[in-house]
Amino acid sequence: MEKLLRELEYRRVEEQTRRHFLKNMGFGLGALGLGSLLGGCNEPNATNHSAQEGAQKVPHFRPTAKRVIYIHMAGAPSQLELFDYKPELVKYDGVDCPAEFLEGKKFAFIQGVPKMLGPQGRFQQYGQSGAWMSDYVPYLQEVADELCFIKSMHTDQFNHAPAQLLMHTGGARLGRPSLGSWAAYGLGSENNNLPGFIVLTSGGKQPDAGKSIWGSGFLPSVYQGVQCRTGGDPVLYVSDPNGISRDLRKNTIEAINDINRQTYEQVQDPEILTRISQYEMAFRMQMSVPEVMDVSKEPQYIRDMYGVKAGEGSFAMNCLLARKLIENDVRFVQLFDWGWDGHGTSAADNVGGGLHEKCRQTDQPVAALLQDLKMRGLLEDTLVVWGGEFGRTPMQENRNGLVMPYMGRDHHLDAFTVWMAGGGVKPGYSHGETDELGYYGVKDRVHVHDLQATILHLMGFDHEKFTYPFQGRNFRLTDTEGKVIKPVIA
Amino acid sequence: MDFSFFVDSGWATFLGRFHPILVHLPIGFLMIAALLEISRRLGRIEVSEATISFVLFWGAVGATLSCMAGFLLSLSGGYDADLLSDHQWQGIGVAAFAWIAWLVKSDWIGEKIPFGPLFYLPAFGLATLLTLTAGHHGGSLTHGGDYLTQYTPEPFRALAGMPPLQQKTGVAKPIANVQQAVVYADIVQPILEARCTQCHNSSKQKGDLRMDEYALLMKGGENGQIMVVGKSAESDMIKRCLLPENDDNHMPPKGKPQLTPDQITLLSWWIDQGAPADKKVAELTVSEPVKPLLAALQDGSASLKEAESSLSAIDGLEVKAGNEEAIRKLTEAGLIVRSLSANNHLLEVSAVNASGFDDKQMALLLPLSEQITWLKLGRTALTDAGLQQLSKFKNLNKLHLEYTAITDAGLSGLKGLPRLEYMNLVGTNITDEGLKVALTVKNLRSVYVWQTKVSEEGVKAQRKAFPKININNGMTEASIAAFAKAGDSLYSELSTKTN
Repeated sequence: MEKLLRELEYRRVEEQTRRHFLKNMGFGLGALGLGSLLGGCNEPNATNHSAQEGAQKVPHFRPTAKRVIYIHMAGAPSQLELFDYKPELVKYDGVDCPAEFLEGKKFAFIQGVPKMLGPQGRFQQYGQSGAWMSDYVPYLQEVADELCFIKSMHTDQFNHAPAQLLMHTGGARLGRPSLGSWAAYGLGSENNNLPGFIVLTSGGKQPDAGKSIWGSGFLPSVYQGVQCRTGGDPVLYVSDPNGISRDLRKNTIEAINDINRQTYEQVQDPEILTRISQYEMAFRMQMSVPEVMDVSKEPQYIRDMYGVKAGEGSFAMNCLLARKLIENDVRFVQLFDWGWDGHGTSAADNVGGGLHEKCRQTDQPVAALLQDLKMRGLLEDTLVVWGGEFGRTPMQENRNGLVMPYMGRDHHLDAFTVWMAGGGVKPGYSHGETDELGYYGVKDRVHVHDLQATILHLMGFDHEKFTYPFQGRNFRLTDTEGKVIKPVIA
Repeated sequence: MDFSFFVDSGWATFLGRFHPILVHLPIGFLMIAALLEISRRLGRIEVSEATISFVLFWGAVGATLSCMAGFLLSLSGGYDADLLSDHQWQGIGVAAFAWIAWLVKSDWIGEKIPFGPLFYLPAFGLATLLTLTAGHHGGSLTHGGDYLTQYTPEPFRALAGMPPLQQKTGVAKPIANVQQAVVYADIVQPILEARCTQCHNSSKQKGDLRMDEYALLMKGGENGQIMVVGKSAESDMIKRCLLPENDDNHMPPKGKPQLTPDQITLLSWWIDQGAPADKKVAELTVSEPVKPLLAALQDGSASLKEAESSLSAIDGLEVKAGNEEAIRKLTEAGLIVRSLSANNHLLEVSAVNASGFDDKQMALLLPLSEQITWLKLGRTALTDAGLQQLSKFKNLNKLHLEYTAITDAGLSGLKGLPRLEYMNLVGTNITDEGLKVALTVKNLRSVYVWQTKVSEEGVKAQRKAFPKININNGMTEASIAAFAKAGDSLYSELSTKTN
């Protein structure tokens, strides 16, 4: 007990940082206004109080997308093999890249004059909407009329990590909140027992930008994405240890929270409120998470629909879990699948067999997810977004001036394809066009910030008014950019 | 005299722009001097000649400074030459005659001028008169020739022989049939008139550009043509509008009414289509983003149909705020109560964490019957008896009843709900009869009946009877199995090809 008290005293002293000293001094020298100057420096103070989970926050207008599933193919899939059909590029296969494509451009790996690379997929139009798709995605063809393509996407970053950060946090550097965190912050959770923002990963590796792309940045950390595992315990250490009953666990957490609350009274750091609500949430999640993450109760035909194999963590499993989470009103579910970086350097990383293998792992589950959401009446108000962090070049990659062992394409920021479905977007529609070689958007170009503005709009937010004060100014997801793409809204 | 350095450095324009401020000094001073002089001569007030002389002096100084600033401003160009010349000489006249009127009365030189006092009244009178005309011409230069009289009311309008006043000039008139509208005359020109021609017209031609007539618009201005026909992205006219508002080259200039993105889209589309002078909408290719904008220009119902799909029966609905006590009780019972959006008091209630919610607890919802629009009671213990009570929830818009024990009988209570658009009946015991009842809901848009006793034939028949309603009975196990195999052959074929 004595040890505990000493620990408490030590903590208290530890809290007494130089900043506290200056702040307290600020009261003494009130006339100098020192305190208020320091207060602007993200100092924990009374105005930063929004950490309470589920505190009522309200969208600006009626949302058409109450929930979002964002499927990010990390590494950037090739739009030229999947959706952006360029018959002209077939003719240019193997021809030297035109000089105007290279002037003043920088690529991640391409050097000198590369050769053009024709589309590797066989394209056809599908559905009543006549959406172009290749034979890489035979399942998605079945739901062609649900999709809303944006083929003229462009970004500012040609390396994976910054491009992923830009895509998910609106800025290429670390420290900004992710789209899911903004959603959880702005809309709160619709289920008291589950976090508002859940992340599932597959493909063997984490995305290059790491956990920052589902981080909460300067928002209270209660809004960060909660990553769940797809095999074993969905959330590590959430189940009770052997010999500890649920009641004992409850008492322990209550005691910890009491102490935390007292500390909060003292130092007013909103992160303490976050910690309290996370303890409470974790306790509730002990019951709710195993239940919602358990796919064993799903009928066999549904598991077959997604192509889920028993006891195997996979993208297919994550899609099925995403549906279950959405069914339980989790606000934002983010799926990351790694392995789409088709440079042509290996049997896995290319736009031929390698990309084909990635599609085989993901195409059926994605199409099944859309079908499943639709027949459960959930697709109407659930927005599904699919895309990578940038596109791939119409040129074949020639890393170090060499011919690559496999068909591959370099990172490309001027043109890529993203599709959305449900949640109030126009089904069976394609927005924007690239030039005849798929190099550059020539009609209705859409920047990453425009896409973000549109997603927020569908969730009921005016992206220009949806802000959070930090370091003396109001920040928003789209920073100072972004226009809602009206034509894609139904 | 070579002013080029002065002009290039921006000093000329900087000082010149003080002209509109400075001119008010001589106007005020000379008018007050004139009033004092008249009143003095009529014997109404006691004022010395020295006082009037003093005011006159400052009027003359002001007029001279105004002339100099005005000349500098005129160097920036873009004004109607004739009008400018008139204004310039009148302005110089004001200054000159004001100086004469002051000189002949002044102590140190007035007496040396022969017949000096004779010049006083004519010079003073001319200065005053020219102040009025120069002022008017100056106004015309800045605001356009018809600025002053544009809104002349009747009956003066008819007396002066002016055409009747147009309702809200600058706002595009609704077009009866947008397909038959002439793109330039009916769509483009009204936008230009609202946002551009104020400075680019017959009397004021900033950048030597006129945008009030088709031929002159195509001709361009001092930097040449303002559009590349067929390529809006390369057209100066569009590029300038898209520059940041702080950019010096941005048009319309900062502070003036700006073009909306929709207006820019319409102008771009017209240029992309070759900027034709007399083609109609129907003769051009209408791209997807332009469609809704054209539809919006159209008067009448045709365009409303398009927009209808994104509107909901609850949009614009106003109710008073829900009872706080009732909301608290619901929350205590484990339900989640949320506001739909910041601009109304409508509520969304969900029992996702309250699987035990039953018919008795329906009473908790009743005090909020007006506010509840989205209600999620799926996977609860609700039965038909509880469902009947929903007949009082007139603003109900979305209703989740999936996986509850409700049957056909319970649905009858929903029939009269005027704003109900979405009904989720997945996994319930309803049959073809229940579906029929559900479809009588007046504004229903979608109903989900997967995993119920509703038959495939029943759904087919109702789809014919209600083609506008989305009746979704999902996939059968067989069709799901077929879907799961859809890509198998293709993938194995591709694997053999690539391996």
